[in-house]
Amino acid sequence: MITQEKYRTTVKELLASDSVKMVIGYKPGSTPDRRRPLFIRSSDDADQLVLDSTCITNLSGYLVAEGLLSDEKRVGIFLRPEGIRSINILAAEYQLNMDQIVIFGFDSTGREVRPLEGRHSKDFSALLSDIKENSPQISKEPLLESIERMNEQERFDFWQEEFSRCIKCYACRQACPMCYCRRCIVDSNQPQWVNTSSHTLGNFEWNVVRAFHLSGRCVQCGNCDRACPVNIPLRLINQRMAEMVLEGFDHFAGLSPTQEPVLASFKKDDTETFIL
Amino acid sequence: MTRILLSDKLDNCVERWRSAGMTVIGPVQGESISRYAVVENGAGFDFGMILPDRSVKELFFPQTEPMLRYTIKKSEIDTADFPPPQEKRIIFGARACDASGLAIDDSLFGWDYKDDFWFHRRNESVIVTIACTKADDFCMCTSLDLAPDSTKGCDVLLRPLENNRGWQVEEITDRGREAFAVIADLLQESSDQAAPTAVVTEKFNLDACVTWLQNPENFDSKFWKEISMRCIGCASCTYLCPTCHCFDIQDEGDTYSGIRRKNWDSCSFALFTMHTSGHNPRSTQSARWRQRIMHKFNYFPGKFSVNSCSGCGRCSRQCPVDMGITETLQEISKLQS
Ligand code: SF4
Ligand code: SF4
Ligand code: SF4
Ligand code: SF4
Repeated sequence: MITQEKYRTTVKELLASDSVKMVIGYKPGSTPDRRRPLFIRSSDDADQLVLDSTCITNLSGYLVAEGLLSDEKRVGIFLRPEGIRSINILAAEYQLNMDQIVIFGFDSTGREVRPLEGRHSKDFSALLSDIKENSPQISKEPLLESIERMNEQERFDFWQEEFSRCIKCYACRQACPMCYCRRCIVDSNQPQWVNTSSHTLGNFEWNVVRAFHLSGRCVQCGNCDRACPVNIPLRLINQRMAEMVLEGFDHFAGLSPTQEPVLASFKKDDTETFIL
Repeated sequence: MTRILLSDKLDNCVERWRSAGMTVIGPVQGESISRYAVVENGAGFDFGMILPDRSVKELFFPQTEPMLRYTIKKSEIDTADFPPPQEKRIIFGARACDASGLAIDDSLFGWDYKDDFWFHRRNESVIVTIACTKADDFCMCTSLDLAPDSTKGCDVLLRPLENNRGWQVEEITDRGREAFAVIADLLQESSDQAAPTAVVTEKFNLDACVTWLQNPENFDSKFWKEISMRCIGCASCTYLCPTCHCFDIQDEGDTYSGIRRKNWDSCSFALFTMHTSGHNPRSTQSARWRQRIMHKFNYFPGKFSVNSCSGCGRCSRQCPVDMGITETLQEISKLQS
């Protein structure tokens, strides 16, 4: 509550002084346990702002949607540590100019919400390095462990079963801040690289393509997983990819806005003979 | 006295229908989602849920459907049709909103071209609706002039008994009577009372909404941008909706041979209206959201005299950013009042 009130005041001040044109936060949703994104442009809007432990959605995708930042004005945004990591990646991939972003950082333990000190991406670099070092981060959840114990065939069958439910609604892609491509490979039809049909093979193709494009870029915000209307445990795929990238390249996505994208950079002394 | 079916007779019913050559389908709670799926005995049904996560639409209009196989030779093109499935089915335990959704889409699929895939399945399927006795915050059939016990699109209506031991049986169509003739001796006369249907409060004023939507001045209202700012443009709402019916025809294969398929498509996608030139007449998400609302409550009723929405609430229940038809129509009701 205190965090929420403090932030409301700051948001109003920044809007009043024209330091930001908009702040993206959360407001109550259609049921008591739901929160929905809020675009604050006035003091009245700011009064609707809520900040509590149920504010989970990573809002950073809105920054790069429909040219929000194209007028070079500044925008504020409420972000958890994963959200800060995702805007770092967006900056590293030249999708946004970090000088335009004012961060309202927060995190929560249980129902308790606490503010994160700082307003600019660089203020959080120590926090993010800490997260990389301290948390085994890629937390082992039981389902992931049980998948790892499976042999190849069992694992294939597991995912086949999961993907058979996919309806290719692309909510996972649309909800993901890292899926900003103006024309996704599955929407390219000259030539049609990936079939649009949502049969099990097509669903496999889609989810594998996405997993590859997200490796070394996913911040485990969980947006995709929560958005999936048929409850495919998508987080597990990207979590596993993140783990492999961390093990193989010591790369923890989104540490800073200047971090080199791991799968889009090249080193002359690379020991691998194969380049994807 | 009314005729009732006791739930402990379900096993026998399923058996009878199966031996009569029908596939029996009903609401099934899977590990991760619920949907209408094939059941083999009475225990397979789950009647406890408010409604299945996935709508009944997919049983009539699947997410991908092969239409024909083609082979292109030097001087000719060979094609072979995939005939619509010949299966006889009984869908036992549909919800009124799902059954109504089918009836709503009949007008679309039978309009300028009669869609065989749709109508074949429609003609071969018996819909047995069970009236709802509970609803959640998202249910809104009553706002669409429907009800938890609507008979629209259904062949037999069952009303749960107050004592929970079965259902009152009301046969609506000949198709329904025929299917229930197979189990006639399993029914009995009884004075058991039906449980009251769910109370579903009216969420918006439909007439006011339609008036507002029909006013050409509102097409460019800034309302559209405001209401849809958070929409991320997925097809979750479209694909779970029992009445959304847009599809795309795709050839899968190579230049010389392959399969032509009918795949679900959605007006929420930017690609939906993208021209080959790159120009997109619906270039923003707000234009796409406006289309979704206009289509359902202005253009569709203009053509077919019925709204393209049965009030199931799935679009709002499942939206990743907590949007949906309900909120938009509520806001429009306010604008028009
Ligand atoms: S892949 Fe999923 S978890 Fe990873 S950044 Fe994208 S939305 Fe978040
Ligand atoms: S959100 Fe789920 S159902 Fe939709 S495309 Fe992604 S994996 Fe498939
Ligand atoms: S309203 Fe919700 S479910 Fe529908 S397209 Fe927008 S974000 Fe997706
Ligand atoms: S528009 Fe929404 S409420 Fe209406 S039928 Fe479709 S999913 Fe259900």
